[in-house]
Amino acid sequence: MRTYPMGRRFTAVPLLAALLAVVASVLLGPGAGIAAATSYTPIAGAGSTWAENAVDQWRRDVNQYGMRISYSGTGSSDGRRQFLSGTVDYAVSDIPFQTHPTDGSAAENPAAGSYAYMPIVAGGTVFMYHLTIGGKKVTNLRLSGDVVTKIFTRAITYWDDKAIKADNPGLALPHRTIVPVVRSDGSGSTAQFTLWMANQHTSLWNAYCAKVGRSGACGQTSNYPTTSGMIAQSGDLGVAGYVAQGYGEGSIGYVNYSYALNAHFPVAKVLNHAGYYTEPTPQNVAVSLLKAKINTNKNSADYLTQNLNGVYTDSDKRNYPLSSYSYMILPLKVEGTFTKAKGNTLGAFSYYFMCQGQQQAPSLGYSPLPINLVKAGFDQIKRIPGVSAQSIDIKKCNNPTFSADGTNKLAQTAPYPKACDKKGAAPCTTGSGGATTSSSSTGGSSGGTTSGGGTGSTGTTTGGTGTTGAAGTTTGGASVDPDTGQTLSPAGSSGGTTSAGATTAGGTVALAQPVTVAGQSGWSSAQTLMLLAAIALFALILLPSVVSRVLHSRKDSAS
Amino acid sequence: MASAEAGSGRPGLHDDIPRRLGTARGTGDRIFRYQLTSAGVVVLAIMAAVGLFLLLRAGQALRATGFSFLTTAQWQPDVHRFGIAAVLTGTLLIAAVAVTISVPLALGTALFISDVAPRPLRRTLVAMVDLMAAVPSVVYGLWGLFFLQKNVIGLSRWLSDWFGWIPFLHVDGAQPGDPLASASVYTASTFVAGIVVALMVAPIQCSVMREVFTQAPAGEREGAYALGATRWGMIRAVVLPYGKGGVIGGTMLGLGRALGETIAVYLIISPVFNIQPHILQTGTNSVSSLIALHYGDASDFGMSALMAAGLALFLLTLVVNFTASSIVARSRSGAQSEG
Repeated sequence: MRTYPMGRRFTAVPLLAALLAVVASVLLGPGAGIAAATSYTPIAGAGSTWAENAVDQWRRDVNQYGMRISYSGTGSSDGRRQFLSGTVDYAVSDIPFQTHPTDGSAAENPAAGSYAYMPIVAGGTVFMYHLTIGGKKVTNLRLSGDVVTKIFTRAITYWDDKAIKADNPGLALPHRTIVPVVRSDGSGSTAQFTLWMANQHTSLWNAYCAKVGRSGACGQTSNYPTTSGMIAQSGDLGVAGYVAQGYGEGSIGYVNYSYALNAHFPVAKVLNHAGYYTEPTPQNVAVSLLKAKINTNKNSADYLTQNLNGVYTDSDKRNYPLSSYSYMILPLKVEGTFTKAKGNTLGAFSYYFMCQGQQQAPSLGYSPLPINLVKAGFDQIKRIPGVSAQSIDIKKCNNPTFSADGTNKLAQTAPYPKACDKKGAAPCTTGSGGATTSSSSTGGSSGGTTSGGGTGSTGTTTGGTGTTGAAGTTTGGASVDPDTGQTLSPAGSSGGTTSAGATTAGGTVALAQPVTVAGQSGWSSAQTLMLLAAIALFALILLPSVVSRVLHSRKDSAS
Repeated sequence: MASAEAGSGRPGLHDDIPRRLGTARGTGDRIFRYQLTSAGVVVLAIMAAVGLFLLLRAGQALRATGFSFLTTAQWQPDVHRFGIAAVLTGTLLIAAVAVTISVPLALGTALFISDVAPRPLRRTLVAMVDLMAAVPSVVYGLWGLFFLQKNVIGLSRWLSDWFGWIPFLHVDGAQPGDPLASASVYTASTFVAGIVVALMVAPIQCSVMREVFTQAPAGEREGAYALGATRWGMIRAVVLPYGKGGVIGGTMLGLGRALGETIAVYLIISPVFNIQPHILQTGTNSVSSLIALHYGDASDFGMSALMAAGLALFLLTLVVNFTASSIVARSRSGAQSEG
C-alpha cells in the first residue's frame, strides 16, 4: 500500500521536471527573443491615417526581428506637431511642414537640419461612397473633377443632379441627398484633396471658402471647412466607417484607397485629363506619379517633396489625378527623447519598408515607390543618427516597379482603361471587357488588393477579385460574375424618387422599377386617430384615480 | 469639522457660568487632524493651480479676442477668429439632453433599489449600477457609435416628423415624405451624444440618490406606514422630501460630469462651429471634444485658445458643482450627513 503511492511520486518527478522544462522554455523562449531584440530600442511615431494601413503592416512585419515600433494614426497635422515638440521619434505626413500655410493657420517652423523627408509609399485619395439603387449597391459611379468639387462644396446636393447624370449615362440615380463626409481633424488627406481642388477648380473652391467664412482663399488646408449638411469624422477610418454604416447611405467621403478596400466599398472613378474615368489601382498610381515633380535639390529643406501639378493635368489615359506620395519625417539630430539607439531601430525599420515592405504595397491598396525614390530614401536613411548603414542590393527587394533597365515596370505594364471608361461612352455593360472594370473597380473587393485588375486586366481579374463591388452586399453569384452592379436606366427616373436597380444573375439583367409612393407628411386623419388613442389611453390610466380623488375630497369637505 | 463640543468632557449642567471647553487631543489625533487638513488644503491648492494654469495659458488667446471669445461661433485660432459661443452651446445642450434622460432613470432605479426591490436583489442591483459606472467612457462611445446610433435614428426621425414644430426638435433638411430621405441628418447629433452621456452619468446620480434614500429615518417611514400610507404614499411623504437634497445634488453632479464628458462625445459627434440648437440634427460640438480633437495639431496660439475654452468649461463645472454641494449641504439629508 505504501509503495504504490511512493512509486507514483517517483513517476511524478520526471513528469514534473518535464513540465518545468516546458514552462521554462515557454518563459525563456520569448525571453531569448527579447534578448536578441535588445539591440533594438522601441520607437514611437504618429501621423497620417492615409498611410496608416501600410505603416501598420510593416510594423507587424518587423515585429519578428524584435523591433517594437509603435505608430498612432492621429492625422498628419498631429504627427508633424508631435515631431516638432519632440514627443515622437518619427512622424508620417502626407504633406511637408507647412512653413508658409495658405489657409491662415500658424506656420510650422522646424529647425533646419533637424529633419528629413523620405517618401514611404504612394497611393490615391479616393471618394468612397454608399449609394444603392433599388436595394442594390451602386459600384460603378464615375465623377468628373468639378462634380467632385461641387459635391464637397455643397454646390451639388442631390445624387440625381444633372452633372452627376452626365458622368453616368444610363445610371438611374435616386433623388437622394448627398452627404459629404470630411475629416474633422487636421489631415493630410484633406490637404491633398483641397490642394487638388484649389489647383484644378480654383473658382469653385475659393467661392466655397468665402461662403463658409474662411477669409478669402483657403487654398490648401489641413482642416476642412465644413458647412451644414456635411459630416465631419476624425481619421480616415472614421470617415470610411461612417460611409460604410447603414445610415451612411447617400454619403461620400475622401479616404485612402486602402480604406475602401478594407471596407469592401466602391470608390468613384475620377475623370482625368485624358478623358477617362479611372481609379487609383497601384498601376494607375505608378503611372500618374511619373509626372510628380520631386524636389531633387539635396540642399533644399524640402528635398524629395512632391509637386503634383503635373499629376493633376497628366494626359495619360491611366492617370488618376489624386495620386500622391506619403512621407516619413526622419529625425536627423539626437535631441529630446530621440537617441542613437532609437536611430538604429528607425534605420533598420526604414530599410525594411523601403525594400521588402514595398512588395506589399499593392496588396494593401497602395502603390510601391519607384526605384529612384527608393535609392534616394536609402540615402536619407543614412542620415539618421545611430543608423547602422546597410548596403542593399536593390534588385533583391522584389519591388514591383523595378526593372533591369531602370524604368518603372509597374507603370509600363499598367493596362489602359477600357473604352467604356471614356468620358461620354456608354457605361460598361455586361460581357464587354470594360464591364468588368466598372463593377470591379468599385468593387473594392476584399481580395481587393487586386482590384488593380479592375482597371486593367480584363474580366478574369475582376471576377477573381470578387469584384464584386457587389462584394459584400450581394449574392454569391455576383462575385463569380463580375458584371454585377451594373445598373441600367429604366425609362423614367422622373418624379425624382424613382430609380431602377439592376440585378444580374448569370449575365441577365433584371430591372426593378421601384414605384414612388406618396410620402405622408402633415396632419391627416391617421394622426388624429393616433392622438385620440393616446388620449384615451392616458384617460384610462389617469381618470379612475382622478375621479376617486375628486369624490373623496368632496366627501371630506362634506364631512 | 470636529467642533469644540464634540469631544469635550462633561458640561456642568447646573453651573451658571459656562465652563470653558477645551479638547484634549492625543498625539495620534493631532497627527490625524493635520493629515486631513493638509489633504484638504492640497486638494484646494491643486484646484487653484489648475485654474491658474488654465488662466495663464489662456491669457494669450483671451487678450487677443477679449469679450468676443464668448460670442464668436467659429474656431480658427490661427487667424484670430475663434470663440466658444457654438461649442459652449453644444456642451450645454448635450448635458441638458443627458440630464433629462438620466435623472428619471437614476431616480427610478434609486427608489427601486432603496425601497422596492427585495433585499437579496438589492446588493446585486447596487453592484450592477456600480459596474455601469466603472465602464470606461470609450466603451460607451464605441457602443454609441456602432450600436446605438443606427438604432436611434428611427426615434429621432419620428420625433422630428411629429414634433418638428417645436423649435429645438426641428431638423433642417429632413424630408418626412421622401422614401429616399437620407438618414444621416439624424446621425452624429446632440441627441445621440446626449443619450450616451446619460447612460454614463446615470450610475453616479443613482448612487448618490440611493445613498440618501436609504438614509431616510426608519422612524418616519414606520410612522407613515402606521398612518396607513401605501408604499408609494410613504415614498412621497417621507423618502422623497427627505432625499430632495440628494436628488438635486446627484443631478448636478451628473450634470458636471456630462459637461466634461470627452471621448464618448468625441467619437459620436460631427463637429460644427455654428450655434446649432436643433438637438436631433446632425452636427454639434462640445468644449472637451474640441480640445481632444485639436490638442494634437494646434499651434502655440491655438493651444492657448484651447486652454481658454478649457478654462470656460472649468469655471462652468466649478459653478455647477459648488451649487450642487451647497444645495446638498442645505437639505435635511445633506445637513445630517455633513454634521
